[in-house]
Amino acid sequence: MGNFQGLAARAFQQEKGVSLAADRMDDIAGLQGQLVSAGYVADSALAATLLLTLDLGRPLLVEGDAGVGKTEIAKAFATVRSARLIRLQCYEGLDVHAAIYEWNYQRQLLAIKLLEQDDRPLSAKEKDIFSETYLLKRPLLEAISCDESPVLLIDEVDRADEAFEAYLLELLSDFQISIPELGTISAITRPLVIITSNGTRELSDALRRRCLYHFIEYPDFAKELAIVKIKAPQAADQLARQVVAFVQSVRRMELQKKPGIAETLDWTAALLRMGITVINDDGAERIIDTLSALIKTRDDRTGFTPDVVARIAATC
Amino acid sequence: MLTFEAAERSDIGTVLLTRIAGFTGFLHANGYGVSAADSVDIVDTASQAGLLNQPILRWNLKSLLCNRYEEWQRFDALFDAYFLPPNKNVFVQRDTTAGTQEVTAAGDDDGAHESPATAEHAVADETEAAGHGASREENLSSTDFSELSQADQERKVEALMRRLAQRLKHLKLRREARSQRGKRLDLQGTIRQSVASGGTPLRLAWKTRRRVRPRLVLLLDVSRSMNSYSFFYLRLARALCNELTDVHCFIFHTRLTSVGEALRDPDPWRAQERLNVLAAGWSGGTRIGECLQDFNRGQGARLVHSRTGVIIVSDGYDTGDPALLVEALRTLRRRARRMVWLNPLLNQPGFTPVARGMQAAMPYLDLLAPGADLAAIERVLPQLIKSLQ
Repeated sequence: MGNFQGLAARAFQQEKGVSLAADRMDDIAGLQGQLVSAGYVADSALAATLLLTLDLGRPLLVEGDAGVGKTEIAKAFATVRSARLIRLQCYEGLDVHAAIYEWNYQRQLLAIKLLEQDDRPLSAKEKDIFSETYLLKRPLLEAISCDESPVLLIDEVDRADEAFEAYLLELLSDFQISIPELGTISAITRPLVIITSNGTRELSDALRRRCLYHFIEYPDFAKELAIVKIKAPQAADQLARQVVAFVQSVRRMELQKKPGIAETLDWTAALLRMGITVINDDGAERIIDTLSALIKTRDDRTGFTPDVVARIAATC
Repeated sequence: MLTFEAAERSDIGTVLLTRIAGFTGFLHANGYGVSAADSVDIVDTASQAGLLNQPILRWNLKSLLCNRYEEWQRFDALFDAYFLPPNKNVFVQRDTTAGTQEVTAAGDDDGAHESPATAEHAVADETEAAGHGASREENLSSTDFSELSQADQERKVEALMRRLAQRLKHLKLRREARSQRGKRLDLQGTIRQSVASGGTPLRLAWKTRRRVRPRLVLLLDVSRSMNSYSFFYLRLARALCNELTDVHCFIFHTRLTSVGEALRDPDPWRAQERLNVLAAGWSGGTRIGECLQDFNRGQGARLVHSRTGVIIVSDGYDTGDPALLVEALRTLRRRARRMVWLNPLLNQPGFTPVARGMQAAMPYLDLLAPGADLAAIERVLPQLIKSLQ
């Protein structure tokens, strides 16, 4: 409880919550603006979470359906902070050699042959061969040995196996990596870690507890419209509105694979390419030709008869 | 009633922060996995940024205290229940920019004086606020889950499930990994190892098939016709959940409910409580088709992949539309690696799968096996493992 009192005193010393909160609101709005100029539309809750991530230095775990822009957050955030983005794409069977480091053994072998003519003592040669020159840095090692704090994106962590997750946990708590031949490498700067997951596997509680959490829903009309306008500025205002309205009603249908934001943008591009500038029920046949950009499974596709498309188009 | 006009400002802060810290306890009571460390964190965060600003506080606490989607969904309701006084729509003063001391103090007053008085009240309300979707009546009429932790059969069930889990651990995948011994030479690995001996490959590296446990999805029918088997299967499911990490368990009757979290709860009493809440509709009618379709729509894409074994436990008595069941099974079958149906009635003499649901399901099953009791499951275990391979 003493802790609380101290904190409380601190909070109220700095001329109080109100002005603090107002500052914070400005920060959030500011970050939102910066993210927009980096091409990402974030709601205030997400911006607040990103700021909190910076404050606490904890990793951020982002979940959500495929295609809602989880990966994009990291990219946009890296742009905003003008930091390097280091990406580790997880997959089944991801191991130390792909995630952390690998010795460049081809070069090592060459070096051994060359060093045979050298008459330095053996220990010096050995030190030479197992030096950083011959170390191939994979994303995780790269991320902790940057001079300036990078953004580390660990994409689709649920695809990697549990053993890797446990290792990741260790890395995220200590920010150091030990390499048997070289010793322990500690982080020069702490990377800002963003982890995404599609929920194909249940992540461990330990990992979840260490992270901040944010769930991204499919965007609502206003947000998606803003995204389309930023990402596809060549689409006229009316078309953009219609496209978004169409996609929003498609999402409400019972589909195996709901279209994500990427699909919306693809479809907009497809419509423009086909020279369709307005969506109405007369043009249903032509719209159907472009639907392959939006609807990605055969079963879903069979549901989109000209009648259905015309009906949706009429409401746009 | 407490008045804060005269009180020191730091006292207000303390009360507020204590109240915020108490929120973790409230969430914990609602089944959130929050720890004491979290209280310190949120107090720290709250005092740094936006103690008095409701949206910021909400966003920050949400990202700090939620660990998964289910918690994320329920959070806002719980936040409102805890922080918003009854009949009020705003947390503190409406206009934070006004910022005068009086306004602040008055606003705090509302938030703070409420804390000792209504804390228990809030906890009592939690079930409704949590949005479990179970009404009180259903709660009372629900089944007695204390049977779930009876010791007699427990040990046998656990032993059997451990055996199943052991066997499942030995399933292998076609994917390869480096190993000390194996059948195929790992050239890359061999060259790497030869660095130690100056380029002469003295030790060879090998590849072997990786061991991978399949994911299991259990869909348990708990409708009335299954009454005498439901507990038995739930017990099996719990033992299996404790043994393997990648098991996902659902119960269904007229609708589908996930019980994995509740079954995994290490506190047996709380597990019972949670099941009580989830079990509304227990031993009612069955709509297998609708429930499976529900599963396909909500969880299927996420949970079922090419290494998933789906185990459906049901007697196949379905009051729904058989066409729906066929459709749902076909979709599910296409996603899953294997589909196994355990039917408790199957080992009754002279039984033929005449139930409509059962007949509809036949073409899509890899294995239809009896499973009325432990002995039956034991007998069917080798087949089960083989079909999951």
